[in-house]
Amino acid sequence: MSEKPHGRVFDLSLHLLDRQVLDRDGRMVCKVDDLEFERGADGSLYVAAILVGQRALSHRIGGRLGVWIRSIAQRLSTDDVPRIDFAQEDDIGSAIKLGASRDSLGVAPLEDWVREHIVSRVPGSRHESE
Amino acid sequence: MKFLQVALGILTAIGGFVDIGDLVTNGLVGARYGLSLAWATLLGLVGICLFAEMSGRVAAVTHRGTFDLVRERLGPRAGLANLVASFLVTALTVTAEIGGVALSLELATSVNYILWVPMVGLFVWLVIWRVKFSILENGAGLLGLALLVFGFALWKLHPDYGSLVHQVFVPQKPPNERLPSYFYYAIALFGAAMTPYEVFFFSSGGVEEGWSRKDLMIERLNVFIGFPLGAVLSLAIAADAALVLKPRGIEVDSLGQIGLPVAFAAGKIALAVAILGFVAATFGAALETGLSCGYSIAQYFGWQWGKFVRPRQAARFHVAVLLTLIIATGFVLTTIDPVMITEYSVVFSAVALPLTYFPILVISNDPDYMGDKRNGRLMNALASAFLVLIVVASVAAIPLMLWTRAGQ
Repeated sequence: MSEKPHGRVFDLSLHLLDRQVLDRDGRMVCKVDDLEFERGADGSLYVAAILVGQRALSHRIGGRLGVWIRSIAQRLSTDDVPRIDFAQEDDIGSAIKLGASRDSLGVAPLEDWVREHIVSRVPGSRHESE
Repeated sequence: MKFLQVALGILTAIGGFVDIGDLVTNGLVGARYGLSLAWATLLGLVGICLFAEMSGRVAAVTHRGTFDLVRERLGPRAGLANLVASFLVTALTVTAEIGGVALSLELATSVNYILWVPMVGLFVWLVIWRVKFSILENGAGLLGLALLVFGFALWKLHPDYGSLVHQVFVPQKPPNERLPSYFYYAIALFGAAMTPYEVFFFSSGGVEEGWSRKDLMIERLNVFIGFPLGAVLSLAIAADAALVLKPRGIEVDSLGQIGLPVAFAAGKIALAVAILGFVAATFGAALETGLSCGYSIAQYFGWQWGKFVRPRQAARFHVAVLLTLIIATGFVLTTIDPVMITEYSVVFSAVALPLTYFPILVISNDPDYMGDKRNGRLMNALASAFLVLIVVASVAAIPLMLWTRAGQ
């Protein structure tokens, strides 16, 4: 993370971790479950990506519960931990806004599965409430 | 138009204040202790006003629901513990409300309540699935106003109002009752008035309706006029029971007994109106608690939630609500007495209160989020004092429950 993005000092744990992430249309995407750092050419650390999902979260929950959540999550999915490139970030406020659309990110496999296999099959799932 | 909006908000707040917990606890306590425990309801009223106002203000300024911010402030681990506890208490409340609707329908139809339970569960889900948020919220709140018939019954009973007011403000424990039970029921009333889901629902509802800073006035009028009038309704239920049931030594252990004073004082039609009120109040609360279960899980994990998007857009949220309703309905079908579930749900609500109310107090003081809308000094002084009270009630609840064998 560069020293002062947008000319403001950000506290990682206060302003980034556990904050809600919204897509460009204001739809809810996920929480910042964990962060991935990379070291720049000058040796300073910067935030490379937002990590998403139970596996990312389990490391921060820690303890036996964390191990338990992680081992269940690993059995359910062998893919890499879903991540959002931090370059997609547009604004940090009471939520973190992305420049991309939720559907292009593919960070919520469970949401997609549930939508396809359960919710879509119930009549009325595509309609506005009346 | 503005005036209509404000009036509607206040009316729904009145009708929405009372749920199965308030009905049962106020009826039961009124029949046993008269109005000598009304102070606990009034105390709970002040508490819910303070904290609902804060959570509503946070929602209007940040557009984030309460549980969203709970995780941010407590971190993932403590936040998860909080989620589990709050969810269990709210799910238990869903169970009590579904049972309450079924019992009310039994009163109206004489068909055993168990037969109504699956239909009630299904109907609650259908409304959450299909009906627009504003209609869902206002419809249940307005029908709940039928409970005003308890006020009418009180008037028809021609009570000595001076003595009632005296009982409220100079409380005296009935001499034949033990002190631990007296305080156990004080905590139950406190928990019934301040049930945590009310705050989840109020704040998430604010986000559903797209509140912003300019809606703060409406938000405050709802809370500071609507809730107190709702509490008057609760007190009227207790007063009716105190005047009709207590002198005859009738102990309340069913929903029907809570309606008896209305029938006694004002006749059959009034009783019909009261039963309509029971159905509306419990059904409305079943909707609110069912949604609240989904809100809290979705807000913790960052899922899309809410009825302002199509169900397809908030798939996990709708599935969470559906599963909660299925489990709650199944639980009522085990024939556990819904009145008993209600009595436990209000006490466990009291236990879980600090989990919800402490983070709200912290967030509503956060200058980063709230800017110039953060708490003033008076608000903070009152809310901090209340937090002490909430913690005392929370810590004392379980020991008192064991000691008194749940108030016997």
